[in-house]
Amino acid sequence: MLTREDLAKYPFLRKASSFIEGYGLTLRDLAAPEYSGIVRRAVERVRDSIEGRRIVTDWKDPETEILAYPLALAFAYGLKAGWVIRRFATAESKRCYELLKMEDGQRLIEVAEDGFGWRLEQNDVNVEGRRFDFALGVTEYLEVAPQFHSANWKLVNRYLLRGRVHLKQSEVARLLSESVKNKIVKRAAAEEVRRFEVPEAFGLYLEEVRRLVEKKGRFYDEEAPVGLVEEAKPPCIMAIISDLAAGKSLSHMARFTITTFMINVGENVDNVLKLFRSVADFDEGKARYQIEHIAGRIGSRTKYAPPKCDVLRSFGLCVGVNALCERVRHPLQYYKIRAREIARGAVRARGGRKVA
Amino acid sequence: MHSIVVDEFRNYYSQLGSKDLEVTDLACRELAFLQFGEQMMIRHTRFLDEVSLRDHLIHKTPAHLYYSSAYYKEPQAPDMNRKGWLGADLVFDVDADHIPTTCKADHDRWRCLECGSEGAGFPPESCLSCGRKRIETTTWVCEKCLDVTKNEVLKLLDEYLIPDFGISLNDVEICFSGHRGYHLHVLTESLRGLASDGRREIADYVRGIGLDQRLHGFMVLNRNGPLIGPDIRDGGWRGRIARSIYAYISRCNVEDLRAVVGSGSAADTICRNKDRILGGITKSPPSWVGLRGVGIERLNRIAGASIKDILCNIDERVTLDTKRLIRYPNSLHGKSGLKASRITYNDLEKFDPLRDAVAFKDGEIKVYVREAPRVRIGNHEIGPLKNVEVVVPKALGIYLICKGAAEPRS
Ligand code: SF4
Ligand SMILES: [Zn+2]
Ligand SMILES: [Zn+2]
Repeated sequence: MLTREDLAKYPFLRKASSFIEGYGLTLRDLAAPEYSGIVRRAVERVRDSIEGRRIVTDWKDPETEILAYPLALAFAYGLKAGWVIRRFATAESKRCYELLKMEDGQRLIEVAEDGFGWRLEQNDVNVEGRRFDFALGVTEYLEVAPQFHSANWKLVNRYLLRGRVHLKQSEVARLLSESVKNKIVKRAAAEEVRRFEVPEAFGLYLEEVRRLVEKKGRFYDEEAPVGLVEEAKPPCIMAIISDLAAGKSLSHMARFTITTFMINVGENVDNVLKLFRSVADFDEGKARYQIEHIAGRIGSRTKYAPPKCDVLRSFGLCVGVNALCERVRHPLQYYKIRAREIARGAVRARGGRKVA
Repeated sequence: MHSIVVDEFRNYYSQLGSKDLEVTDLACRELAFLQFGEQMMIRHTRFLDEVSLRDHLIHKTPAHLYYSSAYYKEPQAPDMNRKGWLGADLVFDVDADHIPTTCKADHDRWRCLECGSEGAGFPPESCLSCGRKRIETTTWVCEKCLDVTKNEVLKLLDEYLIPDFGISLNDVEICFSGHRGYHLHVLTESLRGLASDGRREIADYVRGIGLDQRLHGFMVLNRNGPLIGPDIRDGGWRGRIARSIYAYISRCNVEDLRAVVGSGSAADTICRNKDRILGGITKSPPSWVGLRGVGIERLNRIAGASIKDILCNIDERVTLDTKRLIRYPNSLHGKSGLKASRITYNDLEKFDPLRDAVAFKDGEIKVYVREAPRVRIGNHEIGPLKNVEVVVPKALGIYLICKGAAEPRS
């Protein structure tokens, strides 16, 4: 049985929605003074997520907690910034992860079923000292797991039997919390959410958050810096470049990847061409033609993008996965995040001076 | 195209029962046609039922008929984004084109369009003399090719889809592709909504891409402790790896092993202690200590070599694609005149495409053959032939005409 405390912990549950419906309140109703506690809690959740602070579930007052969630979600959508929604979703997902990890088995199964309709079962498999306490339907597993990039999450490396993937509790928690995030982010694209405006009545409450969004937004909406940020290149691209420098001849896929990558981060054709100089079968005319074609200057005029991480992995071009790789699905995404971090000074650019 | 072929295709479609053209949710699928002699495919069509489809096939007999693996709200919408994707079957394509069989040397040729040099067998990636990549191929198919593809399908089902994925045979449709391989459609409803990245994981699973043996149980306990590993009775990749290593070690010789592990002494040790090692692996729980001295790195390499035969040779692009057009079951293939027969799992073992997928049973036809290797259709075999006129059973004649190797003579 899911209790009221559970609904406060996991307000994405279907049971939580029906609980809220039971109050018969509209969004606008909540602007009334008697609900100011709920509104303030909602604002707090949005603000904390924007500032990257950890959101802690408030146990003392589950009712407020449950009612504040949809309101917070509405605010997050209503602020009309993609990054705010992503941050809110990430914060929610982290909060749920911490809680789900500690949950007892039966409860976890109920959350999976009620929240996402997942077929999760208790399991009793123990191999080499690893306990797989759960088994999840492979379809459900594949809804989420392809987003994670370590070898351990790849289906081929899982214990899969009769359509069920064997999992540890922490892994189930990870999959579920990632689903929480996906659900929030995905809904932002829905027509009614895009049209949604926060009712005027909440204006005062939101003033501070709005200022915060504006201040931070200037930074987040910035495009990635022009020109190549050397240190921001993902491992796969670095590997191809060092192969090139060593004069190795590359597969078609590797060539396509490096070229599209360079063009997409704003390098010009000449600089891309330079990379290929040391390769034995280098033919400048032909190479230039190909690069210009990929850059969309000639031929179909479509500008090509490099392949996704998944594809690179299948072609054996994804090398070693670092912490950032874990979070991205595309080498350009890796680049953008890292380049921003470097610009912000959050990550010290390694390497230093280049030798002529 | 020669009218005799069109007429025979039309006859074939007119004698079909509407059951023969049944597919799940026909009204939600896009249908596509390629007419005889045309280059452009007619796409974005929709048929509400099998009867109207059959009528169409009789009146506008196509050389090729395809349907989408995807289900759409509006399959006839010309813009892919407007179709309203609802889901798609999970499809596997096994084609002799992608499998380098030895018999290809007997029946396939390639020619470089740049420099004109040519050769027999599986085409090289780039021309062997000029290195460029515009290569034209003339390909045929023989019993051997077809057997290899059939075994891939059986492997896919028996080794992976049924035991690991828990897929029920009731949800599986097997079709001969009408030419050089097979299509396997998994109709399980819960899989329909799977996105492309999830399908990639399935394709990678059966192809062993990204497989890391260390994640399937091999480890050395506390640095200098014993080597432990999976049990041959385990399911999934765990058991498969254990069984493959067992099989590999039991049949390998020192030379092969040496090439795989890259060490003479390790290979010697394994061969000398073969029986003891194999005995250990089959124990319950298993004991891998016999391979302790070989080291986990080398064991990994042995595992890699031993699973080769057990990986599925599928064209993964088809599996990843959630909007693929696929040959329609029981339609005729315009490049062979053979039927894309739907086959039950039980019949697959003894299915002989060159006999059982023959659509034209009676009659003879006179054809002029320009060039053909040895070819068998039904029980009739001819070739190799060059520039001769022959009278052959109709099915064989049409096969040669469709392959572009012959033309009808009156
Ligand atoms: S995870 Fe993506 S970005 Fe990172 S190395 Fe692999 S392919 Fe490149
Ligand atoms: Zn050539
Ligand atoms: Zn052959």
